[in-house]
Parts: sequence; C-alpha cells; structure tokens
Amino acid sequence: MIVCVAVVGQQNNPLYIQSFTEAEDDLKLHHIVHCSLDVVDERVNNPKRSGSTLNETFLGLLYPTENYKVYGYLTNTKVKFILVTTDLDVRDADVRNFFRRFHSAYVDAVSNPFHVPGKKITSRTFAERVSNIVKSFRLSSSG
Amino acid sequence: MEEYPEELRTPPVSLVAVVGCPELHAPISTHLHSEHPPINTLALPDLSSNTIASLLPPSSSSSSRSVDDSSSSSASPPVGGILKRDWLLKHRTRVPSVLAALFPSDRISGDPAQWLQVSTDLEYLKAALRGRNIKLVVVVVHSDSTDGINEDRMVAFRKRAEVESKHLISFVLSDASELKQSLERLGSTFAELANAYYRDEGRRIKARIEKKSFSSIELYIRYCFKVAVYAEFRRDWVEALRYYEDGYHGLREMIGMSTRLPAVQRLVEIKSVAEQISFKISTLLLHGGKVTEAVTWFRRHNACYKKLVGIPEVDFLHWDWMSRQYLVFAELLETSFMAGQSTLPAVLGTAEKPLSEWEFLPAFYYQFAAQYLKEKRFSLERELSMMEAVCLDDNSESVVSYVFVGQYARLVEQGDEFALQLLTDEEYIHHALLEGKRFQDSFEIIALLKKSYESYTNLKIPRMASYCAFQMAKEYFAVGDLSNAKKLLDSIAKLYRQEGWVNLLWETLGYLRECSRKQEILEDFVEYSLEMAALPVSSGGVTKSTCRECGPAGPATMSRREVIQKEVFEFVNGKSDLAPTEDANSPRISKDLPLCIEIDLVSPLRVALLASVAFHEQIVKPDLPTLLTVSLLSQLPQTVEIDELEVQFNQSQCNFIIYSAQRHQSAVASNSLPKSRVEVTRALALSANRWLRLSYDVKSGQSGKLECISVIARIGPHFTICCRTESPASMDELPLWKFEDRVETFPTKDPALTFSGQKTIQVEEPDAMVELSLGASGPALVGESFILPVKVTSIGHAIFCGELKINLVDARGGGLVSPREIEPFSMDNHHVELLGIARPEGEDEPQRGADNIRKIQQSFGLVSVPFMNSGDSWSCNLEIKWHRPKLVVVYISLGYSPHCNESTAKVHVHRSLQIEGKSAITISHHVMLPYRRDPLLLSRIRPVPDSDQLISLPLNEKSILIVTAKNCTEVPLQLLSISVEKDDDECERSCCVQHESEGLIFSPLLVPGEEFKKFFSIIPEVNSSKLRMGMVCLRWRRYLEPKEHSGTFSKGVGVLTKHKLPNATVELSPLIVKLECPPYACIGDPFAFFITIQNQTQLLQEIKYSLADSQSFVLSGSHNDIIFLLPKSEHAICHKLVPLVSGLQQLPRVTVTSVRCAAGFQPSVPASSIFVYPTKPNIEMSWSATEEA
Repeated sequence: MIVCVAVVGQQNNPLYIQSFTEAEDDLKLHHIVHCSLDVVDERVNNPKRSGSTLNETFLGLLYPTENYKVYGYLTNTKVKFILVTTDLDVRDADVRNFFRRFHSAYVDAVSNPFHVPGKKITSRTFAERVSNIVKSFRLSSSG
Repeated sequence: MEEYPEELRTPPVSLVAVVGCPELHAPISTHLHSEHPPINTLALPDLSSNTIASLLPPSSSSSSRSVDDSSSSSASPPVGGILKRDWLLKHRTRVPSVLAALFPSDRISGDPAQWLQVSTDLEYLKAALRGRNIKLVVVVVHSDSTDGINEDRMVAFRKRAEVESKHLISFVLSDASELKQSLERLGSTFAELANAYYRDEGRRIKARIEKKSFSSIELYIRYCFKVAVYAEFRRDWVEALRYYEDGYHGLREMIGMSTRLPAVQRLVEIKSVAEQISFKISTLLLHGGKVTEAVTWFRRHNACYKKLVGIPEVDFLHWDWMSRQYLVFAELLETSFMAGQSTLPAVLGTAEKPLSEWEFLPAFYYQFAAQYLKEKRFSLERELSMMEAVCLDDNSESVVSYVFVGQYARLVEQGDEFALQLLTDEEYIHHALLEGKRFQDSFEIIALLKKSYESYTNLKIPRMASYCAFQMAKEYFAVGDLSNAKKLLDSIAKLYRQEGWVNLLWETLGYLRECSRKQEILEDFVEYSLEMAALPVSSGGVTKSTCRECGPAGPATMSRREVIQKEVFEFVNGKSDLAPTEDANSPRISKDLPLCIEIDLVSPLRVALLASVAFHEQIVKPDLPTLLTVSLLSQLPQTVEIDELEVQFNQSQCNFIIYSAQRHQSAVASNSLPKSRVEVTRALALSANRWLRLSYDVKSGQSGKLECISVIARIGPHFTICCRTESPASMDELPLWKFEDRVETFPTKDPALTFSGQKTIQVEEPDAMVELSLGASGPALVGESFILPVKVTSIGHAIFCGELKINLVDARGGGLVSPREIEPFSMDNHHVELLGIARPEGEDEPQRGADNIRKIQQSFGLVSVPFMNSGDSWSCNLEIKWHRPKLVVVYISLGYSPHCNESTAKVHVHRSLQIEGKSAITISHHVMLPYRRDPLLLSRIRPVPDSDQLISLPLNEKSILIVTAKNCTEVPLQLLSISVEKDDDECERSCCVQHESEGLIFSPLLVPGEEFKKFFSIIPEVNSSKLRMGMVCLRWRRYLEPKEHSGTFSKGVGVLTKHKLPNATVELSPLIVKLECPPYACIGDPFAFFITIQNQTQLLQEIKYSLADSQSFVLSGSHNDIIFLLPKSEHAICHKLVPLVSGLQQLPRVTVTSVRCAAGFQPSVPASSIFVYPTKPNIEMSWSATEEA
C-alpha cells in the first residue's frame, strides 16, 4: 500500500506531499521523505555505485526502513518524486509505471498557466489524479 | 556486543593442559600463546593433587555425555534446553584438547621408588583421561643434554604411558637454542594433536547429525552448534558457517513446534539462541570480508524474527531483542570497517535484490537500534503503568540464569542447599518487568543516536543526521537536558528552514519553544513563538489534538498558529506569565524586564515582521522634503496592533515616530511625547500578508547619504521589535513563504518603485550662490596668448577659502602631450599650455602674500580666491597658449565654503568651456619665370628619375616668388610684416631675394578667408643643386576694433608665423628665348615680333626654328630656318605681323629647337597671345600717366 507520495523541488523543498494513511504518522512520513533526499543526492552524485544506468529517471529503491520502502524518481528539471510504500514485495515495473503516470500528472499540473514554477502545487485536480493513481497502484500490486 | 560472554565474542582458541614441572609452565604457555595460531595453556601445578580432578570434572563431562548419549534411548528425560550456557566456556577454559605430562628425566632414570611414583602418576593420568578423547603427551625434561636415560627405561616409560613414540617428547633445558627447539617441537605436536582432538570431537557429533540419532530438534541445534564450534577451533570457517546456518534453520523450524517451555519463555529461549548463532554467522562473514553476504544475512535474520513479537505483555522484550540485534550488527560492521577487513563493495547487492548504500553504514543500524529501543521503552512503560495498578513489588525472589541459554529459573532455598526451579510465564513476565524497570533507556537511546548522528555527519549525509539529531533532541527533552536538546534542535531547524520543510520545522520549533519556556529564556521563547505563528502552515483540517507523533507544538494547523500568536502577544504585553502554571516566580515582561527583539536581513523572523523602506527619489536637495514609504508585512495569522513605530536614520535628526491615533491621545494625555518629530496615523494594524504602507516626508539638511536603518515597532509598554530595513529593489523573498501559492503584492503602491526603490537617498550639497562666468569663447589662434577672463560673482553667499581649479583637458581624449613628437624645446612638449593667471589690468591686486597663485603647471592651475562678501565680484585672466591646433576643454571649478568655519561642507561650482585652437594663417608660395623670357632648363624637360622634385631656378636669372597668406580664422587679422629671411643656420646668402614692391606700408587687414599675396624676386647667385630660399616670416595679430577692450589681447609685436620655403636647384640655362612684341595691336597696323635666342654656352649652337601660319595675322619672314649661334651671342629673328582680326589673338606659334640640347621650345599660350584692337585705342594718357608715376 502506498502510504505517501511527494514532489520535491529543485531546492529540496516539498512541493506536494500527501500521505494516505489513517494513522497520525504524517510527521514520520515527512521525515522519511526528507531523509530519502540524501539517497537521491548520493545516487545522483555516484551513479555508478548504485548500478543504475545513466539518464535513468527512475532511481529505484532508495532505502528500506523497517516498515517502509522508499522509491525515487528524478525528472530532467531536478524535481524529485518520492514514493513510500508498506508493501514488502513490489515489482519494479509497477513502481516505474506509477512514476510515469505521476510524472505526467505533474507535468499537466505545472503546465497550468496559473501555476508559478517553484511554488507548491495546490491544484485540486492534481490531488485527485494522484489519489487515483495511488488507488490503481494498490489494485495492480495486490492483483 | 559487550554483554555477550567473552568466549562467544572471540574466535575459539585451542586449549592444552600442562601438568608437572611447574617451573616450566610459564615459558611453555608464553611460547604456545605466541604460536600461530595461538594455543591457550592450562597449567596444572602437579600430578599428585586433585587439581586434575577439579579442572577436568568427570561428572560434568560424563553427565553431558550421558545426556547426549541417552538421547537415543526413549527412557531419557526430555531435553531441558537448546544450548548449555557454560558449554562453550568449558571448552575454552577447562576441557583441554591435549594433556601434556612433564617428567624430569632424573625421576625416570632414578631409583625404583621414583620410577614407581612415575608409574603411579601415569596411571592416575590415564584414569583421568579414560573415556575422553583428550590426547596425552608425555614430556621428559632433561636438565642438560648429557644426562641420558637408558633405552630400556624409556621404552618401559612409553609403554607405561601408552603413547606413541612421537608423543613422547624430550625437552632439553641445557641452553637457549635447545630450549627453543624443544618448545617448537612441543608447539607443533600440540597443534597437531589439538587439531586431531577437535576434528575427532566434531566428527563424532557430526555422525549423530548424519544418522539423525537425536530425539528432538533442540539436540539437532545443539549438535550443529557444537560441530560449528569445533570447526572454529580448527579454523575451518566454511564448515563452521555451514553448521551455524544449519543450526539457525533448525531453530527457525522449532518456532511453533516446541512445547517444552511456557510460550513466553520458549520464544525467549529461541531468540536468545538465534541471537548467538546469528552473531557467530555475522562475525564469520565479516571476518571473511564478505560484507554484502553479512548484510544480506542480517536482513534475513531480521526478516525471520521481526514479526515474532510474542504476546503483547512482553513485546518490550522483543523490541529490546531487536534493538540488540541492530546494535550488535552495527558494532560488528563498524569494527570490521575500522580494522580494514572490509571495504564497501563496488556493486551493492544483486540485480534482483539491490541493497541500498545505507545498509552498509553502521549508522543505519545504530539508528534502528535506537528506534527499537524506543519501541521497547514505550511498550515497557505501557506495561509498567498497567502493572502499577496490580502493584508490582519486588518480592525478593532471586531469579537467575538457568543452565541453558535463554532460560531463567528461581533460586529456591531447600534446607541448606539451593535448588533451581523453572518459572511460570507469569513469574517470568514479572521478573522481566522488574528487570526492565532498572534500566534508563533514554541514555542508551541517546548514545545510539549520537553514534548514528556523528557517523552521518562525517559522511556528509545531512538529512539523515538531522533526523537522528531530532530524535536525540527529543530524548534529551524527555530527560530534561534542555540545553543539549536546544543546541541540536537549533542546528536542524536551520536545515529545515533552508529547504522549506514546514511541518518538520514546526515540530522542531515546538520543541525549541518549549525548551526556552522551561529554561525561562524570554527572548528565545518569543522568537520561536513568533516564527511558529508565522509559518506557512495552511492545512485547516481538524486533526486530533492528541496524537502520539505530535510534539509539544501540537498539530500544525492554522488554529494552532493563532493560539500560539495569542499566547505570545499576551505574554509580551505582560498579561500572562511565561509558564502556563500559576508559578509566582515565573518571569513576566514588565518595566524591569523589557524585551527587545532584533530582526535582521537573515533572521528567520522576517516572516513575522518585514520592513521595507523606499525613498521615492534618488537624489534630493538639502532641506527639501522627499517622500519616504515605510511598508510593513507580517505573516502572523492574526492582526497585530502596533502602538508606535519609530523610523531611524543614519542622520538621527531625521528620525521620527508614528503613533496610532489612539495611542497618541493617551501619550498626549500623559505628556510623554518625545522630542523628535511625531506623526500620527489612524491605526497601525498589520493583517496577515497585507502590506501596511505609510508615506511621510523626510527632510535632511546635511548633504551626503541618508539611509533608513531600522524601524522599531513598539507593542505594549515593554516590548519592541527592531527591524532592519530593506530596500524593496534588493529585497529577498520571504523564506518558506516563497514556496507558497499566495497573493503577492508590492510593498509600495507604485510597482515601479518596488523594483527600483532604495532605502538610501543622496542629499545634494546646497546650491551655490555664486556665479562663475567665463568671458571668452573660441576659437583661439595658434601662437597667440589667448586670454580667458574668469569672473566670480557672489550672488548670495560670502566666499571663504575660495579656490579656483583650472584644468586643461584634450577634448578628444589623450593627453596634451604627444609622445611621438618630441620637440626640442620643453615648452613645446605641451601643445596647449596654461601660461599664467593674471589680474586684469587696472584692478590692483591687494598684495596678500605669495600664495595667491599657488600652482601653475602646463595643464593645471590652482588659484586662491580672496574673501568676498555677498554681492562682490572678482575676476582674473587665464592666459593660454596653443602650440598646435587642438580642441581643448577648460574645466574651472570653484570650491568655497559659505561660512567662515572651515568644517562646513564646501560648495562647488563647475564650469567648462571648449576652446578650439586654430592655425590663424596658412602661407603658400609659388615660383614663376619672368614674362616671355624663357631660359632653357634641361632638368625641366628631362627630369632625372631619381632626383627629388625640387624647383629648378636658372642661375643669375630673375625668378618670381609669390607668397600667399590666407586668413583661415573667423576673425579679421592684421598683417604687420612679411619678409623672406634667410635660414637661421645659413651663413651666407646664396641668392638674392628682393621685395618686388615696397614693404608693407600699412598693415593690411585680412578678413576671414581673404588672401594676401606678396611678390619677391629671386636671383640665384651660386650654382648649387640645393639652393635654400629661406623662410617666410609673417607677423600678424588679431584685428581689434578700437572700442574693444585693449587689455583682452596683447598688442605687442604680434604673432610671428614662419613658413619655410623649399630648396631649389640652380642650373645654368644654355639658351634663353625671349619673345618681344608690343603690348597690344590694332587691325591692319603692322607690328614687329621678335624672337631673340641667346646662347649662353661656350659652344656653337644650331637652332632650328619654325613659325606656323595664323589666320589672324599676315606675316612676313621665313617660316623655317636653321641658324647657328656663336658662343655667348644672341640672334634675333624679326617678323612683321599685320593683325586681321580683333580680340585676344594667338600669335603665330613659334617652335625653337636646339639640336645640341635636343630640346624644343614653344611659348605658352598666355605668353603668345596679344590683344588686337579694331582701332587704335585712346589710352595714351593713362599709359603715359602710369609711366610718369
């Protein structure tokens, strides 16, 4: 189950962060997303070691916490997408697919002429789309 | 890791026992210990005592054996546990693999009584070792190499000992080398035998595993463990690893199957054993440098047991256990990296199961250890609080560790002895809770987090480090170590501020605020509160106020922000205390305890109050008002009422205070208004995200920079916020809020001012009340002394310490000196020169000292201006001379102070004038031959190619020099004289130059553009190829109208302009042709036309001539002829011509050719023209009159 998704800006500032849990662990998820930026930095600076190929937007599993798995995705404009899930066994393909859809939702959101680049994404449509993507991910991964 | 027993932590070392000859034990054990691999020695002093019996307790060994052996029989009691607690220790310290008995040689070779004793000892040893696999070695100690024992006795001894001959070792003490050899012999034998022992033991147990001759899974695990340990003794790491893993898997199967113990204790036992085995496996893997495998192993171990929480009452035990797993692995990893046994692998994990780089950092595991420990504490506290009700008392029951790993039992007194009694689960839980209560987990957690934090910091992983620091700070906060907590929180708040993680920052600030509240640091408390209240926390959703995650800040919501703001403003207004409790000592803002907060350009509190200040102009005249807009912005959720606002400048006399109307009334009433300027506005209320704009006039009397430094807001009687002002043009965006999607407005009403407005303004110096006028304009003429009158007229200011600076600057850039044209005279180095500064004639200068004119250089001058009262004037003349035509700008600046004291700012007046220096006169010249007299100049007809094009002049013949002087200025000039002078360096005249007419009788006036011509005749007297004709000297001056001021331009002798005439060649002409005819003719009136040819050579000249017919004339005489001219003679050819046509007519063309010179001559068209009148003109009179004159 996806518990949290986030869009993080170029200055590592959160642009959009949404958790999908019942419990009150927002803060913890914020911490997890924030910490995962360290791994993103490391991956970007040391692309060889993590075995990922160059120019790959999907950064893979960033780091395992005891209960969560954190995946990352880096766009060309250095905007990061972070996904926190509680599923222990997730197929990479599913995550990639998720990020691809998430990315296109993001692109649509920032293409809005009323959106100022670099500001938080407050679009309700975007939030709806994201929650739909999250829901469909849940279905596909459980199915 | 420290809590594990020593024998578990270190790799097993073989153990041998030495008995007899105690004096040798020390060197032997030292030697064995230094062996590679080392061997531990168990030294038993002598055989006779019962030390052997005590150290090799047959009972324990046999009992364990009996348990093991009896396992196959069904009658045996069920197995009590998995691993015996002291089994490993026993093998490490008590059960030797080899027993070496040392016998002095003299006792063997001694008398029968001694021999008997030896035999007894041997029997005793054999008896002790019976039933065990322990190898026996007998050592015969020779005190010197010579004391031989006879062969029979040795054989008998060996047989008695029942050892192979190679296990009978002789040990020679006689000298060092022998001793060394003996020790080495001993060492190798021991190593070999020990190896054999452990191999045999291992094999024996392995056989049981293979035969599956065990009754329960516990035994299987135990056997695996033992085999692995024996393999470790032999340093067979591969086998050890394999059997440890087998044991581990066996253990995993046991979960849920075993019913031997009560459920809780069963799990505890399994986990304890799993912990030990896992520890062994991790150690072995890491020692082998297999980091990736170790990490993967740990992951699996973790995954296996993570879910085995057990019943909720004792879940703290599970968390404790989990925490220990992480801690131990972290320590192992750390030591392994430190010892350099392992390095980070190049590729992490495998493609399918990638490991993240974090999993190789000990910090990662420390962090989790801390996290689980926190979990444990949480569970424990929960349990304890529940138990409080049930009254948890220590009923002094002594619970001790049982013989098996992971089991506990109660020590029960039974008469004189103690017996161990297994516990029920309830008792065990009770015991565990009591144990748990004894530990202070917070410090442990802090220590773990600190390790993690330091490691992350060293590795430059800032966000992880911050997270650890945050958790650490929370622990510190919980245990009441506020200063440490604050230090950590301050550092991480910085990161969160920078990256804009508002929720995290909110949480951090919440703790900080609470820390400063508890520490009673008022300033910090107010600052943190203000920052929190101004954070862009927008979620208006109602969240549960009591959630476990929330710190003292409460949930990050808008309403909470409002509460915080309200709280802090009540506090700063002195309405409430710092602490919410009714503590009388709690500090309160009051007259004795005022509070001032500074907000500078980098302060995080800019979100709470931002002051932007813009002058509407960039430059202002002194004492003139200029508009200043003070704009304040606050992101605090509720409106802030400011009582007064003080605006401070670097020129303090400009400071002013703005009161809100209400406050002003009360201030007026109490008569407490300050002396500085006061403005009143309707209300000073700051609502969220809306600029409060206030515009006022500011007046400064002091020239220079006027800067608005700060705006001080006073809220309540004792609280002030001092806000450094910012220019709107260079203002940074609000931190944190810049990421928010909010309406952004301009600090000033005029958006243009927002982009250009500055908080500084330049105050100009006061207007000069002095007129500086320059009385002349160009152009100046090269060579003359150009007079530039300067007049200083005071029209309001008195002039003190006046100073006039003059600067001459080339208008086209570049200096006034040309480096290329080095002139012989230093004076000429400057093309334009300031000659002097003079008072105009007639105005006598009061002689007030020599420093009047202070300095004059070629292009710079400095003159002091005397004191003048208002209305006075003073003037001087600048004398400037141009040596070359050049455009020059004259800068004149007058500096003075309008008041008599020197300190006041000087006022400056600047004037500049562009003056062009022009050449006044251009002189040109022209050389001609006399009319109708043409000497033959050979160089003219046959120019020598390489000769420079000099003018050729005939020797001793008169040539005419025409000098033309043209006025190229725009003013009339007066010529004073014109003459041709010889060159300065010419010693003798080589030609005669005469004025053709008289000298200048009156000075002719040349209007602009007019030319003046003057004729000179030149007769070269020397035959020279380079005749210097001399130099034309022309004196002139500006023409002055009589009414013009006589002093403006110097009259004097005028300006001399020179023009050098070119050199000429002089040559003797061989022939001279003259044409002679009357000046005019009349139709039908015949006249004579002579052609005279003069031979100037010493040779006979053959001359051909021809005369062409002309339609205008009838002529007599031959058309062609050849004549021979004698030397130095002349011949005239005469023709009579009758004109037929009137007007200017061409005479018949004459062509004269000299055969010798090969030169032909034809007169020029003007020379061969004549005017023919129709009738005789009546001009006799005038002609005669001219002749008479």
